[in-house]
Parts: sequence; C-alpha cells; structure tokens
Amino acid sequence: MIDADYILAVIAAMAAVTVALRALPFVAGRWLRRHSLVRKLGDTLPLSIMVLLLVHAMVGSARDNPAGVWQELLAVAIVAALQWRTRQTLLSIVAGTTAYVLLRNL
Amino acid sequence: MPRPTRARHSIASLTAPVAMGYIPLGAVFGFLFVQAGGAAWLAILSSLLVYAGAAQFMMIPMLASGASIGAIALATFVLNLRHAFYGLSLLNSMPARRWQRWYAVFGLTDETYSVLTALPPEASARHMALVTALNQGWWVLGTTLGALAGARAQITLAGLDFVLASLFAVLAVEQWRARADAVPIWLALAAYAIGYTVAPGQALALAIALSLLACALRPDPAKDGRREAS
Repeated sequence: MIDADYILAVIAAMAAVTVALRALPFVAGRWLRRHSLVRKLGDTLPLSIMVLLLVHAMVGSARDNPAGVWQELLAVAIVAALQWRTRQTLLSIVAGTTAYVLLRNL
Repeated sequence: MPRPTRARHSIASLTAPVAMGYIPLGAVFGFLFVQAGGAAWLAILSSLLVYAGAAQFMMIPMLASGASIGAIALATFVLNLRHAFYGLSLLNSMPARRWQRWYAVFGLTDETYSVLTALPPEASARHMALVTALNQGWWVLGTTLGALAGARAQITLAGLDFVLASLFAVLAVEQWRARADAVPIWLALAAYAIGYTVAPGQALALAIALSLLACALRPDPAKDGRREAS
C-alpha cells in the first residue's frame, strides 16, 4: 500500500495547481489578453506539450518492451487515426490501448 | 413552456457522450490507482478534488515510484497549462451566482470546455454549473466502480498503462484540429531528442523548458501563417 498521508498531500498539491490554472484567465484575463507573448504561447505551447508527453509515455513503454518501439508506434497510429476520423475519445483510447495490450501479451 | 425542455434536452444530448467517455475512463483510473497500491477512497477523493483526467493518470506511476510532491505538482502544472487558455474564450459567458461561477472554473476540463463552447453564450452561462456537475458526476461514478473492481481483481496485464499514452495522443490530435500548425510538433520532437541525449533521466523536464523557450522566441505565427489558414 502507498502511504495515505503522502497521497493526500499529493492530491492537495495537484488540486491547488489545477484550480489556479483554471482560474487564471478569470482573475487576470485582461492582462493575459494584452500580452502577445501569452497569446503566442497559447497558440504553440499546448500542442508541443502534448507531443512531448506522448513521446515520453511512449519511450517509457518502449523501455520495458523487448519487442522494440514498433508496437508503441502502431498503437499510437491507431489512436490518432481513429480520433482524427471519429472524434470519439473513448473509442480511440480503448482501441489503441487494447491493441497495445494484445501486442504485448500475445 | 417548450423552451426549458428543449434546453434540458440539448444538455442531456451534450453530456451523454461525456458520460460514455468519463465512466469507463474513470473506471480505468480507479482500477489502475488501486492496483498500483493506493486506497480506493483516495482514488475517489482525487476525482472529487483534482478532477483532471490526464493529470490523474499521470499521478499513478509517480505515486508508485514515490516521486516528490514538488515534482508531481510541476508535472500537473505543465500538463494542465492548456486549461489556463480555456477560460479566455468563456470570460463573457460565466454564471451570475458566485458559487456556481467558482464551481464551473474548478471543473473546467477538456470535455466540459468543448460542451460549453458548443452552447450559445447565454445558455452556457445558465447551465454551466449543471453541465460541470453532471460531467464530474460521471467521472466520480466511474472512478468508484473501477476502484472497487481494482480492490478485488488480481490481474496484471502488461501494457494497460498505455491508456495514458493513448490519452495524450487524443489530446494532441484535438490540439492539432484546433490549430493545424506543424511547427510545435517539430519543436517538441527536437526538444525531446536533445533532452534525451543530454540527460535521459531528465529528458521530459529539459524538453519542456526547451519547448517553452522555442515557443517564446518563435516569430509570431499570426503574421505569416495566414495563407495556410485561408
């Protein structure tokens, strides 16, 4: 079991960070909109961060996968293609994860 | 009066797809959380208080490896940074009542945001708290079901945690749909390659810092990117 006090502290920290980020535009919206740097980051950064997190998660999976990286690439391609065509988040995630679990365990 | 009925009907039709996503995904979160060694009630508490799907999935391996609270808070910050930009487009359609407004801000997830932006502004203001509460209700329900199942089950499937990579892939596709601009992808790949070469253990943190710098220094895409948008 993971220590409950540790998890409680993590939950408190994550909740505080998340609420602060979601509240930021309502507290400082005018200031944010006036700065072109903020707008530029808003245009570019979210996609960069998602790609980084995706690559990092794939590298993490590939590292303890003896079959190599092609299984991760295939599963992510399935997710991306499904999401692009259907916009059904659940379908894309379930199909991609199921494909990956099957590839790893068969 | 036909009008409120129609509004309620349209809310039900908007939140139903969210329910179909949140209940099973919440269940996967609850299941993995308990399987990783967390107590079921803590999984439910995190869905009540943190309520951020991708960050909650990310916390599981970090908790399991005993990461520091600061590291987890920083990862949450980076992952949820996009939420800071959601509110900008909703500034003029917030509920009038104070507690409703704060609850709607608290619960502004990717899916709730996309439901709200599909509503006309005045309907959005009126139903924002209700839509948020319904969506969080699905997420908490799913978490509870998954956590209870995870406390009983004894299966370990290699690769089940790939659900996090799948979720990031979905979010990346949706970011791409909002703004089809390939530069952020190349920036990210280059930054990760550099980060991984310099310090494999700190690749993500390094790559995020590099991406932030590159995005800030990038020439304004609004000025020369118009021809692609037309």
